[in-house]
Amino acid sequence: MATVPAEYALGLAAVLFALGLTGVLVRRNMVYVLMSIEVMLNAAGMAFIAAGYRWAEPDGQVMFVFILSLAAAEVSVALAVIFRFFHRTGTLDVDKASSLKG
Amino acid sequence: MSIADFIAVLPILVLTIAAVAATVLAAFRTGHAFNAALAACGFVLALASLAPASKAAPRAVTALFSVDAYSLFFTGLLLGAALAVTLLSYGYNAGREGGLAEFYIVLIIGTLGAIVLASSVHFASFFLGLEILGVSLYVLIAYFLGPHANEASIKYLILAGVASSFLVFGMALVYTELGTMEFSRIAMRAGAGAGPLLFAGLAMITVAAGFKLAAAPFHMWAPDVYEGAPAPVGAFLASVSKGAVAVIILRYFLQTGSFAIGPFFTVFTAIAVASMFAGNILALFQKSVKRTLAYSSVAHIGYILVAFLAGGRPGTVAAGYYLAAYFVSIIGAFGAVALLSGKEKELDSITEYRGLAWQRPWLAGAFTAMLLSLAGMPLTAGFLGKLFVAGAGVGEDLWFLVIALVVNSAISVYYYLRIIIALFSPAYGEAAAPLPGLPLAGSVALGTLTLLLVFLGVYPAPLLSLLEKAAAVF
Repeated sequence: MATVPAEYALGLAAVLFALGLTGVLVRRNMVYVLMSIEVMLNAAGMAFIAAGYRWAEPDGQVMFVFILSLAAAEVSVALAVIFRFFHRTGTLDVDKASSLKG
Repeated sequence: MSIADFIAVLPILVLTIAAVAATVLAAFRTGHAFNAALAACGFVLALASLAPASKAAPRAVTALFSVDAYSLFFTGLLLGAALAVTLLSYGYNAGREGGLAEFYIVLIIGTLGAIVLASSVHFASFFLGLEILGVSLYVLIAYFLGPHANEASIKYLILAGVASSFLVFGMALVYTELGTMEFSRIAMRAGAGAGPLLFAGLAMITVAAGFKLAAAPFHMWAPDVYEGAPAPVGAFLASVSKGAVAVIILRYFLQTGSFAIGPFFTVFTAIAVASMFAGNILALFQKSVKRTLAYSSVAHIGYILVAFLAGGRPGTVAAGYYLAAYFVSIIGAFGAVALLSGKEKELDSITEYRGLAWQRPWLAGAFTAMLLSLAGMPLTAGFLGKLFVAGAGVGEDLWFLVIALVVNSAISVYYYLRIIIALFSPAYGEAAAPLPGLPLAGSVALGTLTLLLVFLGVYPAPLLSLLEKAAAVF
């Protein structure tokens, strides 16, 4: 049976990572920025799975579970903060979060 | 895992138990003093547990942790810093709106992440520790409903999230190339020759570390976040968060010999010089004390990187001494801001500090000592720290970096003196708003820090002997 080379999976992960980074830089809505960060983190998880596959070790998948759970923790706190920001300012625009300057 | 393994990681276990206990007890006792005391007890117990842990050291606990003189020294330093932040927060938080119990729980969890970093020798524990620390910081920065707290937290969490993704992606690339996530094995396998994936992975880890350390050119978030965060949290960010990342990065680079790969030595030299100049020059134009301290902490990372680049035993000792001196001074400086801040508003603009020396002579004296130490004046810890860093740099013939360090120390004196002059100049005509009363816990913490500052500045031998042991690990 032909197998998929690990390099392909790594390439896909790199593309996903680049997409996520573009989203963070381009998107103005905070929720979308957060989603783009999730895409980046999951791209890293995918790269770990590809690496674990290459070495035929479970370590890559273990790291993926770590990344998944910590990304969930991160997003729950982040959403709470963003929710409070929306409550105070009535907007989710990242550019409006600019009262701190100097 | 054997009993000895558990004893070796006792500080981590104690803080974990403290965090769980505080979470459970907060359901029954929401009193501010109770919860603050609980956190302080947790930190003191964790510090005490370093004694049995050091008997079990050196010891590799699973593949994830290595408990040795290096990790024990920095665990102690981080725990001491967290204890000082707890005491300073107690006075600062008293009387503020909202539940205060959770503040201390999150503080314990954040410190737990930091000490996990101090002893981790594996990518998994590196990532876990960093995220535990990072997520706690999002909460701490936005804890109080200040005008800028939410915004600061959002800025921090977006950039920290991006930095974390860079870090894990970089780790994945290194793992793809080398097939191991343990620092010691990375060292052996990377020696065979660096492929493009290892190179890219290391570059991404460097970017992530730069963000977390707030080193130039990744320092843009620091002033906003430090300004928006409550002053004690600013102290935590500048000391524990930054210090823990510096400790793990130093271990990673020393143990894996990654400075020798490709242009990384040059890259880190550029980051160090850029941080020094960017931090010090931008600090010259600040009107806010907290922003000035933020830029000053950017510059201090540049100084510490000089010691990193020198490497070897003198470099490690210098980096450790500098970190300890920097911890004492920056926590003290933020602590002084915290003690002067009222419930409604923090004292932040430099002009508001005018004439303070006449109203609060002791506090102004302590603040001055902290600023002089940050500037590197003799008789303070900061002076000896800079001396050791410069000595380590000269020992490795890093003349360019040493000259940058000396020039920048000279530039930095200007903006520290500006705050000191404001403290000692007469107040403006109109009656200033009455200052808040001095909280006892915070005053004790600040007093102790000031004594420690002078002690480290005139009698460095005890700390140096500890650091020599720590540096012998590599």
